Amino acid sequence: MPFAYQLPIFFVFIPVIFGVIIYLFKKPWITSLSFLAQITLFIAFFVYHQFWLTNPEHHLIVFGGWSERIGISFYADSLNLTFTLLSIVIFSILLLYLFQFRRKDHKFLFFFLFLEGVFLGMIQTNDLFNMFVFLELVTVIVTVLISYQKTGPSFQAGIYYLLLNTVGALFFLIGIIFLYNTFGTINILLLKDLIPLQGDRTVVQFAYIIMISGISVKAALFPLFTWLPKAHGVAQSGISALLSGLVVKGALYVFIRLNRYMYVNVPLQLSELFFWLGVVTALVGVAFAISQKDMKQILAYHTVSQVGIMMMGISQSYLTAYYGGVLHIINHALFKSLLFLAAGVLIKHYQTKKVYEVRGVMRTFPLIGIVLIVAMLSISGAPLLNGFVSKSMVKYAVKGDFIKEALFFLINLGTVTSFIKFSTVLFGPKQNLVKQKNPLQDISMILLAVGCLGIGLFYKELGQWIYGLSVTVKLWEWVNWLDYAIFLAIGLVFYHFVVKKDYKPFQFLRHFKLTFESANYLFVAYLVVVLLVVFT
Amino acid sequence: MSPILTIIVILIGLYGLATSKNIIKSVFCVTIIEAGVILLFLNLGNLEGGSIPILGNVIENIVDPIPQALMITTIVIGSTITALALMLCIKIFHNYGSVEWKEVLGREE
Repeated sequence: MPFAYQLPIFFVFIPVIFGVIIYLFKKPWITSLSFLAQITLFIAFFVYHQFWLTNPEHHLIVFGGWSERIGISFYADSLNLTFTLLSIVIFSILLLYLFQFRRKDHKFLFFFLFLEGVFLGMIQTNDLFNMFVFLELVTVIVTVLISYQKTGPSFQAGIYYLLLNTVGALFFLIGIIFLYNTFGTINILLLKDLIPLQGDRTVVQFAYIIMISGISVKAALFPLFTWLPKAHGVAQSGISALLSGLVVKGALYVFIRLNRYMYVNVPLQLSELFFWLGVVTALVGVAFAISQKDMKQILAYHTVSQVGIMMMGISQSYLTAYYGGVLHIINHALFKSLLFLAAGVLIKHYQTKKVYEVRGVMRTFPLIGIVLIVAMLSISGAPLLNGFVSKSMVKYAVKGDFIKEALFFLINLGTVTSFIKFSTVLFGPKQNLVKQKNPLQDISMILLAVGCLGIGLFYKELGQWIYGLSVTVKLWEWVNWLDYAIFLAIGLVFYHFVVKKDYKPFQFLRHFKLTFESANYLFVAYLVVVLLVVFT
Repeated sequence: MSPILTIIVILIGLYGLATSKNIIKSVFCVTIIEAGVILLFLNLGNLEGGSIPILGNVIENIVDPIPQALMITTIVIGSTITALALMLCIKIFHNYGSVEWKEVLGREE
């Protein structure tokens, strides 16, 4: 057996081992080994990708010599290789961003690298229980990273996140139990073939619903997103970028894995349900985002709304919409990380999180101004940038249905409006601030901005390379530009005459907070509603 | 013990989560749900009168070992989470002087 065959297990262990070395040896120079870990990971990935292309029979790896039915196994396909590359890229860029401040913080780098290994493990695995273990490990380490600032609010957000997500993960486990009890295996590939053979669909459907409900907590779907803004409010910008950029996407990856790979042969007819859940999530997220005044809260609620858009894409069986959803996951990881990182630099220099107190970014920090413009154009769907491509692909899911098109229009309008609000930080006179030189940070942000542009321009080649798929979104049509200009105009009017006045509903939304008990009530209610929809 | 009883344990935990106003009680409710889940799996994998799944003297009529192997892992994860949550409780008490959700969540920075 060639060595490259076993490389996916090294995706998990390379960062973990480097993390342990960094933690154990307290030499000052040893922290730079974390970059070596990233480089090794990149090399391992590309070596494995070559092997993967040439050996289609070796995609499944079973550990320990057990039979496939009971052993732990990893499986590589185009979906998880895409996610692997995405997470290695995002982790490397965040490491560049964080390294200046964290070069003496061995403990932080240990947790950071450990999270990378665990996250990659969650993506590689082909075993449901293993997936649950990795999900829980991600929850634990993210909790530590959220509370890393050691202030009261950060501990409180940490425990809120930990308990809510643990309950979600335990429900995921209950689903696994029912599947094991029925089929005697928890191997996703085997279950894919076994599930359609089951005559009585009740148990299978019940297991599906309960697993998806557990995942919905982590994915921050409509009634269960309350932990997300709380966690973003207290975490440092790098960790916020990680949460929005990757950890939430991990849950969406599990959703895709279950929905399209495990239950693919069973006609469950649930794509409508998840489509509407996505629509509601997107609308609610946008409504909250418009009303916020805190930079990080605006971005956090935006993550909620973008998760809704991704959900609209990935829940569809129609291929263009589905690939649009996956592409939107990748794009969102890039531009939302970029927004959080830029906002982090601004918060550090201006010493405030309020949008209305930060002014003159364009004149004071030209570089950050430019990357912010790229990211904002990208998230609001301007032609030529990556957000436009994936949004146009998701739009295929709503084609031909007037109500859905109108709702999609509303979501886009909300996005544009809230970023018009955010873009007010760019204008204004030059401020006299003490600038801190940090070339690594600048490089990390430039890389992300280039990524946004690159995917926007070369999405065709990328789709061909990963999926062998040819999709064309008409880039140079004047209609798109006109569309975007109209959106901007309506957004500006809406911002000046409605949002800026700060009416009562906006104030209500801004101060809206959910207690932990109600969050759990909502979880139970969500479970019951989805069960009722499925079984009636 | 039948599986119905374990489902009742899980529901008790959920009820507690949705009503308890104290952080430590919430942590315990999560632990209760977890205990319920573990008991559920062990019950479903149980075999009346079966022998222990250790290779050696008897290898017939043994209980399915996989649920037990999986649940040991779950117990380890559960204890980790309980420990982390209780540590956070102590820190919250040091910062706020209380472990009531209302008093902790009500006070922002």
